[in-house]
Amino acid sequence: MSGMTKAYPAAVALDDVSLELEAGTVLALLGPSGCGKTTCLRLIAGFERPDAGTVEIDGRRVASPTSMVPPERRRVGLVFQDLALFPHLTARQNVAYGIRRDPDAVVRTDELLELVGLATDAERLPHELSGGMQQRVALARALAPRPSVLLLDEPFSSLDQAMRTQLRSEVRQILREARQSAIFVTHDQAEALTVADRVAVMTRGRILQVAAPEIIYAEPATPFVATFIGISNLVAADVRAGAASTRFGLVRLIRSAVGDDGGHALCLLRPEHFSIEEAPDGGASSDGWEVIDRRFSGSQILLELRARDGERLWVEAGSRVRHLGSGDRVSVRLRDVETVAFMRRSAGAQAGRQTPAPGKLPVVERTR
Amino acid sequence: MLTSPSGLRIRTIASSSRPPAALLVLAAVVVVLAVVPVAHLGLRALEGGLETLQPLFRARTLELLISTLALGLAVTVGAVGLGLPLAWLTTRTDLPARRAWTILAVTPLAMPSYLLAFSFVAASAPRGWLAALLEPLGMTAAPSSYGFGGAVLVLTLTTTPYVVISVRASLARLDSAGEEAARSLGSGPWAAARTAILPVILPALGAGALLACLYAISDFGAVSILRYDTLATAIYSQYRLSFDRSAASALALLLLLMALSLVWAEGRVRGRAARQVAHGRRRPARVVALGRWRWPALGLCAALAALSLLVPSVTIAGWLVSGWRRGPQLWDAVDALSDSLVLAFGAGLLAVAVAVPLSLLVSHFPGRTATATERLLYGLYAIPGISLALAVVSLTLNVLPALYQTLFALVLAVALRFLIQSVGALRGPWLQISSHTLEAARSLGERPPGVLRSITLPLLKPGLLGGFAVVFLSALKELPLTLLLAPAGFSTLATDLWDAAREAFYGEAAVPATLLLLVSFLSVGLLVRRGDVQA
Repeated sequence: MSGMTKAYPAAVALDDVSLELEAGTVLALLGPSGCGKTTCLRLIAGFERPDAGTVEIDGRRVASPTSMVPPERRRVGLVFQDLALFPHLTARQNVAYGIRRDPDAVVRTDELLELVGLATDAERLPHELSGGMQQRVALARALAPRPSVLLLDEPFSSLDQAMRTQLRSEVRQILREARQSAIFVTHDQAEALTVADRVAVMTRGRILQVAAPEIIYAEPATPFVATFIGISNLVAADVRAGAASTRFGLVRLIRSAVGDDGGHALCLLRPEHFSIEEAPDGGASSDGWEVIDRRFSGSQILLELRARDGERLWVEAGSRVRHLGSGDRVSVRLRDVETVAFMRRSAGAQAGRQTPAPGKLPVVERTR
Repeated sequence: MLTSPSGLRIRTIASSSRPPAALLVLAAVVVVLAVVPVAHLGLRALEGGLETLQPLFRARTLELLISTLALGLAVTVGAVGLGLPLAWLTTRTDLPARRAWTILAVTPLAMPSYLLAFSFVAASAPRGWLAALLEPLGMTAAPSSYGFGGAVLVLTLTTTPYVVISVRASLARLDSAGEEAARSLGSGPWAAARTAILPVILPALGAGALLACLYAISDFGAVSILRYDTLATAIYSQYRLSFDRSAASALALLLLLMALSLVWAEGRVRGRAARQVAHGRRRPARVVALGRWRWPALGLCAALAALSLLVPSVTIAGWLVSGWRRGPQLWDAVDALSDSLVLAFGAGLLAVAVAVPLSLLVSHFPGRTATATERLLYGLYAIPGISLALAVVSLTLNVLPALYQTLFALVLAVALRFLIQSVGALRGPWLQISSHTLEAARSLGERPPGVLRSITLPLLKPGLLGGFAVVFLSALKELPLTLLLAPAGFSTLATDLWDAAREAFYGEAAVPATLLLLVSFLSVGLLVRRGDVQA
């Protein structure tokens, strides 16, 4: 598969979306529900017709407003959110369905059942399999005809947390080993960041950014991307000469282009950008922050802080302050980091936030 | 959602809510076929002005109305009173041989009401076997089966299976969580049943009761044989004996309105009823240990089975034996059997052929068209057979003489009347086929005809069989439509039985009754095995 382009402006679902997938890589389409991710997949698979724009697979044009290659001739594999296993066929028959006329169907089916760890349960019907097993059948079935590109629509959403984590890494491995090009749709950022080589963040029918997971996290293109991925603090800043001046001091900016000199901006600061210490004087100093919430996730502890002026902040608690909890007072220091800033004007327009109440400092935004 | 100036929309193939034009056209044809005869009946009754409606204002009409309603009410009470405990005993208790009793409780579906009535009359006749059985007990005669009591008994036995099936399905689906929650909140077992189970199964009970009541008020064969006058018998006698078509039409319209207002009333009540909310995994309900109550429970089940199955079987066996001595009349019965099969196969196949696309419409394209079509088919099913028969006779005679008393019109009318049963049987299988299932097959390289062959048809197969069997069975037992619409010389097992019963020629009834029961037991057996009738 050499590459795939498609661009289709559409009123409701998709607005001038373009994507390209490199052969053998995995792309995640990440966005809140209703943002057009699934429509995107269905256009590639051939179950919807684009109103404008084109879809190409392996350099072959398969869809445009005037011509449509039917789904069965696109060499596109599909794993549906509801799996859509054939309920009257056994696991083996499900997997073999797409290749049952091939001479090496039996060998290939066995190989796939082995690959997804279902060799011993091959003769069971879908309803006799657990959720995770059904998932594997769906995956093996879609892989069997060696599709040019595999599309997965929220493939793990029906599973419980533990199973999801396990299957996620299995699927990633399977796709890697097969050097299978794949696009998968998810609203779960952790899933997108762990499984994909590249992540495309979508909202309201538009793609905001396509980049490697690390870039998406460290250098989000818009405030929406910043708040959708990871935990973020958007702090009021003045941008000047490639640096943002915030209440925590001066922060270097990665992309100087962002900072039209002299603008009011929102500066992205992640929880790990801060280091905190217990306030020595019991919080009497003016920069004292009060801990108001504590979130423990095993590997790390996040604290939500509130300043005197009401501004809130999520920070990571280092090893020395793990014991802190609600009511404790801390002082906050910014580490030596590089980050990005968004001009206020565009920020307001982008996410449609309310204007802050007068007298209150606007700015800290946080989202999970 | 953004609205961009381009105003373009993406249309989907199978998951859109707009049904394909072909489905809409078919639905329209069915709607027209269903509405026209009934509208015609209404027009006929009205066009003569008040004069035609005169028969409705006779004192006799009021009597008939009251006797019909009384029968409907009594049968409903009886069927619910027997069906509810029977459904509960066979789903939620440790009743011995539960499965066998379940099958026995639903098997009377195969028994046409007129045959049951006829066998009761024969058994309790002065020299019948029931009288002989009771003689040593000092009783000079068996209690008479004629009149109100007999009609209520026969129709209650006939309709109890409808309540049992409906309530059983609901009880089987019922999650034990509600009951457990009620118990944990301090309710005793009875209070929990009343507050947590009854409200949830109420819609199913209502549906079963409605079927029983509709059956009772529109039954024609059994009440005629038991000499209990209702609107249905009056319609027939007006039509057959006095050739007074407009009086018959007016009465048929009255009966039809009575049936439809029952359906409407039940819909109103059901609209407010509780629906079960499913959360998490369902757990099978607790099984209640009957203890000493086992014996009365078994007694109830046995008594019902004896009355609705044993009495008619013994009676018919008696006819067979005595009929055989006088020489077999097998060949007449073979003719009737083949006519019955022609009718039942024709109606069953036609119904399934139309039900496949219609149930697709109903299951995958919910919307006003689907709802309206489905309601209409329910309405058609609720219309008393004798009213529909008269409507079709009147329509074909006056507007489409080419179709008057043709086999085609008969098969069409029977198939339409029972079409909703077929649609119901196919809806479940269709729902199992999501648009995703079909899309998955196509993305795996299968072209549409191949998808139809390898996915759609195999998944629909149980529904095709069930949808056929259920209409086949109904058509086999059908009496009033066949009596009024059959072409000259066309006689089914049902009409043969009817003739024999009216003249009390028990011997002549023997072979048709046996054949009818055999075929009809077979189709009920098929339905039970497939799980359409859950046993």
